[in-house]
Amino acid sequence: MKKSEKNRIILFALGAIIILLLPNVLSTYGIKLTSELYIMSIFALSLGLIMGYAGLPSFGHAAFFGLGAYTVALVGKFVDSSYVLIVAAIAIGGLMALLTGLLFVRNSGAYLIMLTMAFNQLLYVLFYKLTDYTGGADGMSVSVRLDLGFGPLTGAKGMYYFTAICLLGVFALLYYLVKSPVGRISYGSKVNDHRMKALGYNTYWYKVFMYTVGGMLAGFAGALYGYYNSFVSPDSIHWGLSGQALIMVVIGGSGTLIGPPIGAAVFVILQNYISSYTDRWPLIMGILFIALVLYGRGGIVHMGQRLWAVLASRLKKTGGQSRTSAEQEGYRNEAP
Amino acid sequence: MKLLEVKGISKSYKALQVLKDVSLDLYEQERHVIIGPNGAGKTTLFNCIFGTIPMDKGQVLLSGVDVTAMPSHKRVSLGMSRTFQKNNLFEQLTIEENLHLAFSSLKPYRRRLFRPLASYRDLAEDTEKLLKEWKLWDRRDRLVHELSYGEQRILEIMLAFASNPKVLMLDEPTSGMSVAETALTTQIIQNLPRTTSLLVIEHDMEVVFAIADRITVIHHGEVLITGSPEEIRSNEMVREIYFGGGALKDA
Repeated sequence: MKKSEKNRIILFALGAIIILLLPNVLSTYGIKLTSELYIMSIFALSLGLIMGYAGLPSFGHAAFFGLGAYTVALVGKFVDSSYVLIVAAIAIGGLMALLTGLLFVRNSGAYLIMLTMAFNQLLYVLFYKLTDYTGGADGMSVSVRLDLGFGPLTGAKGMYYFTAICLLGVFALLYYLVKSPVGRISYGSKVNDHRMKALGYNTYWYKVFMYTVGGMLAGFAGALYGYYNSFVSPDSIHWGLSGQALIMVVIGGSGTLIGPPIGAAVFVILQNYISSYTDRWPLIMGILFIALVLYGRGGIVHMGQRLWAVLASRLKKTGGQSRTSAEQEGYRNEAP
Repeated sequence: MKLLEVKGISKSYKALQVLKDVSLDLYEQERHVIIGPNGAGKTTLFNCIFGTIPMDKGQVLLSGVDVTAMPSHKRVSLGMSRTFQKNNLFEQLTIEENLHLAFSSLKPYRRRLFRPLASYRDLAEDTEKLLKEWKLWDRRDRLVHELSYGEQRILEIMLAFASNPKVLMLDEPTSGMSVAETALTTQIIQNLPRTTSLLVIEHDMEVVFAIADRITVIHHGEVLITGSPEEIRSNEMVREIYFGGGALKDA
């Protein structure tokens, strides 16, 4: 147990070093794309948390992402401070998730998916129709620049480091959250809600809590996106984005923390590179999705874990054999 | 002293009346077994007593407190716990993790964030103690679906027992077990501390007479008779409808 914990921290540190050194080898376009990837990773993680650790599949998670993005765009007209705007985006995402969570989380499966999607589209229509404030279908530009107190972070590299640190922070936060009593208990209610109730848990509140945290993190990702893109359109609050996040979580691996970022990476890379060859990239995405769901029994991470388990057992076997043969040698040496 | 009082529970699904004015009670330290033919309404009665499903009429008192309107999880915090007829476990988790979840339901840190659940000392100690007592310590890292059916059935009881309940309700603890597993489970139930009173649904007559202080027979959703094992064994009506005419004279 302790050894694996240590290994994980070493892996995390290695990943962090790679992430922080990456801009030195990437082109400016690559840096920008990777920054976007990190933002989508935070978004996917926020959905992965409620899907994989609370059993709440949502088809409306872009509602909170969009709210975060529009918070930066709309409130940014009156307030300059990046800290205030980001905290406001998190708070609004969280508050909306809390309010809707109170109503929604008693449902599960398809019912929950329909409810969250309906709510998502409700917000979409609202932002789409409020043309005077949001620019409607044309979207609106973000007038504020990201400034953490030491000058505006305008260059591609500045944005890269900021989003990278945000992703690492969110990842570490969730790592401890899912192991905490609340995290384990809400995971238990995902595995067997009926039994959790019989064991004496009011699983409703655990789910509401996790849903709220998911909304806060989605709002955070949305705010980062607003800064990154300097422009917010109704696309960022459309259910299509909710669906994309869902695909990221599923192809990466639901019920893991490393899965959603991997899914986001696959998604963003496919979207950007294959779309330069063909307009039909969603087709490839769709085939990959169906193949993984049907044959992968989980996402990329689950497949990797199974592959690793097979490899490890093979290695152990050959290792064991060589040891026994060495022991036999030892006996032979002792015998005379 | 009466620990659990069930007063006049009625429950129907549309036109089908499953329970008619069922009353029973459970004293401190008592082991009360409910028997009755299939479809008599025993599990429905359990569901009503535990609050899993709402009852149409009736009242449930736990240590004198009216819990009729309380959700199940509140009843657990007042000392009630139950198992299920069909295994109802955390399949993808290990035995140890299953018990962590069972034990933490009444711990003060069940609403805490950030410190890993597995790092709480008392939780690890409780889990180790129970697993060693029940001789599953060696298998603590096994996933539930890797266990034999009998072991899963025993884990089912362990999860319910972990909250150290005053009233433990066991719904057919030996259903589907082999003869050897049934014998082991009977022994486990007999060895449960008397501080936990038992309300048990059971079909196997050997098990019933091995653990019962008192027996209630339910037939067509009604209480036919409540009495000591001897009374039940010698009751003509019970023999007629349940034992099939004295088949169990020597049991």
